[in-house]
Amino acid sequence: MRQVFYLVRKNLRRKPFRSWLMIGCMALACATLFLAAVLSRGIQDTLQTSRERFGADIVVVPAEARDEALSVLISGDPTTFYMPSSLEAKVRQTPGVGRTSAQVFLRSLDAACCVVQVALVGYDPERDFTIAPWVLRKTGGPQRDNQIIVGAKVISAVVGSPEKAIGQRLIFMGKPFTVATILEPTGLGTDYTVFLTLNVAYRLTWESPLYPVPVNKDEISAIMVRVEDGEDPAAVAGSIEAKNPEVAALTANLLTRFFSRELRTLVEILFLAGGVFSFLALALTGSLFALSVRQRLREIGLFRAMGARRKVVFQLIVLEAVCIAGAGGLLGVLAGFCAAYFSRDRITEMIGNMYIWPGGQSLFAVALLILLAALAAGILGGLYPACRVSGLDPYEAIRKGE
Amino acid sequence: MIRLENIGKRYQRSDVLQRIDWRIADSAFVLVTGRSGGGKTTLLSIMGGLTRPDEGRVLIDDVDIWRLSEPELAALRNRKLGFVFQFPSLIPTLRVLDNVLLPIAFGGRSPNREDREFAGSLLAMVGIADKEKAYPSQLSGGQQRRAAIARALINRPSIILADEPTGDLDESTEAEIMSLFQNINRQGVTIVMVTHALDYAALGTACLLKNQQLFPYPAGPSPESAAGEESRHGE
Ligand SMILES: Nc1ncnc2c1ncn2[C@@H]1O[C@H](COP(=O)(O)OP(=O)(O)OP(=O)(O)O)[C@@H](O)[C@H]1O
Ligand SMILES: [Mg+2]
Repeated sequence: MRQVFYLVRKNLRRKPFRSWLMIGCMALACATLFLAAVLSRGIQDTLQTSRERFGADIVVVPAEARDEALSVLISGDPTTFYMPSSLEAKVRQTPGVGRTSAQVFLRSLDAACCVVQVALVGYDPERDFTIAPWVLRKTGGPQRDNQIIVGAKVISAVVGSPEKAIGQRLIFMGKPFTVATILEPTGLGTDYTVFLTLNVAYRLTWESPLYPVPVNKDEISAIMVRVEDGEDPAAVAGSIEAKNPEVAALTANLLTRFFSRELRTLVEILFLAGGVFSFLALALTGSLFALSVRQRLREIGLFRAMGARRKVVFQLIVLEAVCIAGAGGLLGVLAGFCAAYFSRDRITEMIGNMYIWPGGQSLFAVALLILLAALAAGILGGLYPACRVSGLDPYEAIRKGE
Repeated sequence: MIRLENIGKRYQRSDVLQRIDWRIADSAFVLVTGRSGGGKTTLLSIMGGLTRPDEGRVLIDDVDIWRLSEPELAALRNRKLGFVFQFPSLIPTLRVLDNVLLPIAFGGRSPNREDREFAGSLLAMVGIADKEKAYPSQLSGGQQRRAAIARALINRPSIILADEPTGDLDESTEAEIMSLFQNINRQGVTIVMVTHALDYAALGTACLLKNQQLFPYPAGPSPESAAGEESRHGE
């Protein structure tokens, strides 16, 4: 076997350009596949995490507000829509529904406090389960009426670190509030949301001279729903919508939509390119390799005449193919990794900062998978010429090589 | 001893060899001649286990080589036989010394120091001791042929099958290589050589391959004299 390896090495050095061409083709295909796989893996991870951060399994909103609602939840765009609060009870009775909690979205005015536009949301601190997990630091006691909870990006731009924001006084619609606590960044709409208690929210719309149309206490904007353990959110959402045609029940799955179209196109293009490159690389490398074997027929016949066993010739050819494919795979994965590493920030920017890069383990798994695929391609690509050539009589091989 | 019994070979229905019976004693020096395309290389290949005859048997030391398994036949080619081909046959990617050592590797072991020394002495014997480190492309045609002869001898075979080893060489080089084979033969190695250089027929027994059959050369006991045919060949 050592001898076989030695001959393979010698042979690969014979025509370095051709060897590198084959390796390069494989590398290009592997690099593209690696990038595509890493990006799509990242998207999956991001979706997974977003779902966890979404807090609710289902968000029930008025049917006609489906699209606006998504933009509040995802990006914190301030919009308003209302439905009767009696719906919460109906939703809660739907089989599979575990907990519910209502929220009311206020029309936010350009707040003097903040650089970014913020969404004002009234929520029920007693029943809420969506923001509690994100509270950065617990403040003692229940939220008082003049206290607000703010998303990570609401004021950190103004005061610097989020920690410093706690205790700050902010004015909303002419009323002063103190920041009770701040939420960890979620990458979702909560980052740009200011949470008030429900009662305060309603009162604000009545009392503030600035608020155009007051909101009644029997109006709510959204019902956050947590399904019972083991229930499928999509199924429960379906039955909520079936029973209450006036609402839309959004699941975290809809988040998928909010990956920018460019990103999805990019990943699609990468996969397509990876597929095309792989095909071309396999075709080109395969035919170059077959050619190089054909050109060496006489040599192979000579090896046999000198006493090389059929098996040895077979190993020689397969090993050579595997070396080419393996080197290509390794280089490709490395190149893909470098490309991902160096364009990391640009990609993140393009995708939006909620994008989470796959961790080392996933990267390693993807790299390994692609490397294995390259090796398998090498074995398959080597097998055919190896079978053909090692099946020949030495004399036939020598003659055909002339 | 090599015995051919009733050997026949055809390609696409045209016969190249027909009913050839031949015995070659140990340590013999046999020359085979015949017109181009007459089947000399084919005959040598059948004897050497490189291509299977359509009919008949080849016995080397009473072993029917075409009934051996593939690994056994490979081992026989490796140990008992040495080939010198009609065309340049060194591996261009390997240095001369490594070329000479190649049959040892195919025999299933890495060459050791002894092997290297023996390879060096063979190269000295064929007169290119200074070319050990050279690549084949840096050698002349005659030097390449000498290296190929050294390679054929590395596993101390009992039989050398040489196919026109002096085919494209000048006369003085031809003479040197012929005497080289003579020396090898004196050490007890059977030599079967295809050649057109019939001036050397006296080195051993000569045969003429004609009409798919073997005849003694020059004139033999058979009624159709080979000599007449040979003169036509010369026209
Ligand atoms: N694999 C093959 N397929 C078809 N025909 C073949 C094959 N091998 C040999 N032949 C034919 O058989 C005949 C004998 O070929 P061979 O090479 O044995 O002749 P030769 O006596 O060695 O000739 P030369 O002196 O030119 O080397 C030729 O006509 C050749 O074309
Ligand atoms: Mg010939």
